[in-house]
This record gives sequence, C-alpha cells and structure tokens, in this order.
Amino acid sequence: MSFREKSAWINLAVLLAVFGIYFGALVTGRVRHGLESLHLLLWCVGGFVVLQAALTAAAAMTTPGDGRGPLDERERLIQMQSESLGYRVLVWLVLGLFVPIHFGHSALDMANFGLLGLVIAGLVVAVAQIVMFRRGA
Amino acid sequence: MGLPIANQIRRLRFEQGEMTQSELAEKIGMTRQTVAAIEAGKYSPSLEAAFRIAHVFGASLDEVFQWTAEREG
Repeated sequence: MSFREKSAWINLAVLLAVFGIYFGALVTGRVRHGLESLHLLLWCVGGFVVLQAALTAAAAMTTPGDGRGPLDERERLIQMQSESLGYRVLVWLVLGLFVPIHFGHSALDMANFGLLGLVIAGLVVAVAQIVMFRRGA
Repeated sequence: MGLPIANQIRRLRFEQGEMTQSELAEKIGMTRQTVAAIEAGKYSPSLEAAFRIAHVFGASLDEVFQWTAEREG
C-alpha cells in the first residue's frame, strides 16, 4: 500500500473516530450545548491533529522510500478528482443548511451543522481516494 | 471495460535483467503502485511518462504501448 493510500485510510479513520465522539456526545445529550460542547470540540480538534500526525508519521516510517516523495501524476489525478467530488458534496451540504435555518435552529446548532458538513465532505474525499487507489491495485 | 492501451512493460522489465517495478518506478519518477497500475492496464500514463518508460527500455513508444481500439467502451 502506498503512503498516499495509507494517508487516506488514516484520514478516514481519524475523522470517523474523533468526530464520531463529538457528534455522538451531542446527539446522545452526554454533553450540553454551549460551553461544554465547545470544550469537547476543542479537545476533539486537538486530538484530531495529534492522532493524524502520529499515524501519518508511523505510516511514513513503514513505507518504502519511493512512496514518500512528491505526488506522481496518478496521485495528483486522484487527489484532484477526490477533492473536486468533496467540494461538490460540501456545496450541496451548505445549501442544505437552509433547512435547519427554516426550522429556527440556534446559531450554535447551525455551527455544528456546518462542521458536520465539513466532516462529511472530508469523509467523501478520503473514501473517493481509497476507492481510486484500490482500483489500480 | 478495459483501457484501450495495452503494454509490454512486464515483458520488457524481465528482458532488462528482471527489473522490478520499484526499480522502474525510481527511474521514471513514479511510485511502484502507479507502475503496477500502468502495467495492469488500469491507468493510462501521460505522454511524458510513456516516453520516459520507453526511454528506460531503449524502445520506441509503440514497442511499449499498443492502441487496441476494440477494448474501448
């Protein structure tokens, strides 16, 4: 498995784990909206950065040298196509924000919906990259 | 539905002293996985990459790659 593919798997796993914890706590009511949820979010973002960095470093150490250089043409194409797809998903999700606005959700709820949209777009990018890398395997 | 371009990369690698995919990848500035995808007909390289591959083998472009129109669509 190439370093780029490992990176995509790491992105997918860390996004699911970290933001699964955050949104799971919100939805189940384990953390109340407001300052408590903001503290949890800050911990999650910090955890995301640390976990991503640690796993990416581990992936780099376990990948042969030829997979850690600059992106080659196929990797650039996969990156471009996956990010284009993620952008289109994000645009539709942002447009979808008019739905909770219509139902009178609070500003904090809207911020969380926006964050959820970003996470979903990130997941789409990661999954698209994994599928495209696997197709060439 | 395969790509319409076949190639002789695997045969040429073995004729060049059993060159590995990694060795070929290093010579043309790509990853081993990309070379594997090209060899398996799952990715069509750019024109520049195709020329680089042919240059490594000391072969012409159409000795390495062949257009097979019947595979298209």
